Amino acid sequence: MVEVGGYTGRYLEVDLTSGKFQVKETPRAWMRNYVGGTGFAARYLWDHLSPGIDPLGPENVIVFATGPVTGTLGHATGRLAIASKAPLTGIWGESHVGGQLAPEIKYAGYDFIAITGRAEKPVYLWIDDDHVELRDASHLWGRGTRETFKLIWEDIGDESIQSAVIGPAGERLVRFANVIVDFYDAAGRTGMGAVMGSKKLKAIAVRGSKGIKVARFEEFWEVIQRIYEKATTGEWREIANDTIRGYGTPYLIDVMHSIGRLPTKNHWTGLFPEAEKINGDALKAVRISHKSCFTCFLQCKFVHHVDSGKYACTLTGGPEYEALVALGSNVMVSDLGAIIHANELCNDYGMDVISAGKVISWLMECYEKGLITEGDVGGIKPVWGDADLVIDLIHKMAKREGIGDLLAEGALRAARKIGKGTERYVIHVKGLEASAQDGRSHKSIGLAHAVNVRGADHLRGLCTYDELPWAVKYAYERFGEEEAKKMVIDDRLNPTGKGYLTWLTENFYSIVDSMITCKYGAMWPMIYYYDDFAPWLKALTGIEELGDERKLALAGERIYMLRRAFNAREGVGRKEDTLNPRFTEEPMPEGPGKGQVVELEVMLKEYYEYRGLDWETGWPKRHKLVQLGLEDVAEELASMGRLAE
Amino acid sequence: MTSVRMMLVADYERCTGCRACEVVCSFWHEREFNPRRSRITVIRDPERGVNFPVFCVQCEDAPCVASCPTGALQKDKETGLVNLNYDLCIGCKTCVAVCPFGGVTVDPVSNKVVKCDLCGGDPQCVKFCPEEVLKYVPVTVANLMKRKKALERIPKLLEMALPRVV
Repeated sequence: MVEVGGYTGRYLEVDLTSGKFQVKETPRAWMRNYVGGTGFAARYLWDHLSPGIDPLGPENVIVFATGPVTGTLGHATGRLAIASKAPLTGIWGESHVGGQLAPEIKYAGYDFIAITGRAEKPVYLWIDDDHVELRDASHLWGRGTRETFKLIWEDIGDESIQSAVIGPAGERLVRFANVIVDFYDAAGRTGMGAVMGSKKLKAIAVRGSKGIKVARFEEFWEVIQRIYEKATTGEWREIANDTIRGYGTPYLIDVMHSIGRLPTKNHWTGLFPEAEKINGDALKAVRISHKSCFTCFLQCKFVHHVDSGKYACTLTGGPEYEALVALGSNVMVSDLGAIIHANELCNDYGMDVISAGKVISWLMECYEKGLITEGDVGGIKPVWGDADLVIDLIHKMAKREGIGDLLAEGALRAARKIGKGTERYVIHVKGLEASAQDGRSHKSIGLAHAVNVRGADHLRGLCTYDELPWAVKYAYERFGEEEAKKMVIDDRLNPTGKGYLTWLTENFYSIVDSMITCKYGAMWPMIYYYDDFAPWLKALTGIEELGDERKLALAGERIYMLRRAFNAREGVGRKEDTLNPRFTEEPMPEGPGKGQVVELEVMLKEYYEYRGLDWETGWPKRHKLVQLGLEDVAEELASMGRLAE
Repeated sequence: MTSVRMMLVADYERCTGCRACEVVCSFWHEREFNPRRSRITVIRDPERGVNFPVFCVQCEDAPCVASCPTGALQKDKETGLVNLNYDLCIGCKTCVAVCPFGGVTVDPVSNKVVKCDLCGGDPQCVKFCPEEVLKYVPVTVANLMKRKKALERIPKLLEMALPRVV
């Protein structure tokens, strides 16, 4: 029997300035306290970053973290967490991605890789088991992501290696540049690609041949067969077939339109009259293949090819739901070919589709409202539904050409530069442009956007039980009637109990992001919960604490709180836990959420109680940090006056 | 006693390249998760999303058996399995060279030659294939599946044939 399974027990530190690297031992206490992935990244960045540093400076650190389940048998074990101080927001930054790279990092023998410094000239990091080398990347610099993958294969002479690469957007420090894995899978949000660009790090390429051991062999077989069957047979399989497995995330277009939560016209409304032109069925017509991330039991990826018309010869993975909104409904574009092409460009430039699209929708609304003129934006005329303009602006942002140079700074920075009241229409939280949800038609997501540690985004705390009428029953099954009633799970428009619900959800997703498996399976469909993950982690790792549901939930709370503390250390607290007045003051104009606004304060108050935050300042309370075993974090915050006693 | 022989088959067009087969294969045979030690490998084209699982097809007149200098590889006429006897194998890798499909490979850790042994008649990769690409079925079923699949490619013909076939 292996003492600890799942983990490799080592991590790699690389300093690009000196070109030196070091292999260190993963602390045993981190495994039971922070699990892996996001948890490891949060602990590492808390320990290694000083507040106030420039995210694009050499002193910033970027972490590529795997978790105990990465590369093993189980649902979606190919997820990778990339974390750093974010260039777009100046706070905690993280983005997760599927594909096939994370397992390769584990097979090479590392739980995570932490990279700091700045190379003098473009390099890429080549990891071949124990061999670590910085290789010249001058021939890759300026290339699109797709070409870069192929050139690295050619360079090393092995098509079985996996890479994470940036495109021209990352090189040019577009603040929402992303990192691409396996051709089309994007660690999209918060600008992790710009951090790599600032370090002159074009890519990480990995080949691993070491095995990962399991602690309790027989027990693992038993648990993992249960995990597998749960997703691939019976009711969950049928649900998956009709949604995520049959259509990928684009199935959400119809679903969100039906509950009036499909962001349209810069989040002005939740209905898009032309939704059926960009929905799952529309995409299916141009689908060429079905793809998957590593050992996924749900299989939600598709590759699309446009073979005729203006955008003929477009070939790309996705667009996902978020891209269909950001580059479609939210800018009033319903030409599917144009959206697929815009998505392809963003992938190839290495640029977040959400932020890119939301910068454009902000510009369009400001133009419509007469806040800006053509003279303010380099002579362009940003009107709703102009697909050519969307595509043109994507080129300009990625290349920082003309007005693109300003827009590449993100919507909030651009608005502050332009002034003229344009900031009012930047739909963001903490500087991160909002993803495709609307709290007016689904109250809990309003709160989840406002308190999310990385900004306005669904992936840290979106609850799906209260989202759809027919999903409610699963909350009753899982939490029991008393708890479900406490969260008023039956009514997505009722803010009561949603603070508790969001707290619960965030803690759970912290574990999902740390072990690491996919939100699809945990968030939607809600197949797995702590009672699945605890036995899985215990059999795999042999660590008792990870097999204890209560302790696992507490670890989730610890991981979430540590990231909240990271933001507090940067001076971000209560006043940043807010939403655009669009959601809190402008009633939803139509649809099932008509007349609704987000009652943020009442939900926030409840949430602060559970999270252990001070109502006036938003700083973490000492007793909560102590309860979570984060005494050292409390001390540091206290010394800065950012701890609530 | 004889019965219809079983066969490991792959419906290539459905493979999404998740590689669960590789992971479970290495776990079953080597007690560790390590796709590079797997007896089955998915050849992936991530750009177009095209995937081919490659494994030993247990040839009837196998080049590996014919070329093995020590007789380590033998065809079991009853089960259909091409058996590899490690007591006789000298690791010359002739079988790797002559296999037309890449069904025999070299384990990068042990440097031994490895090939699919159908997990003793209960292939684990089949159990963990979420797209049901891999199937372990009687030869008769494999034949029927293949022919039905061919029909699907001709929708019009299928329309006409279905009432009569099914």
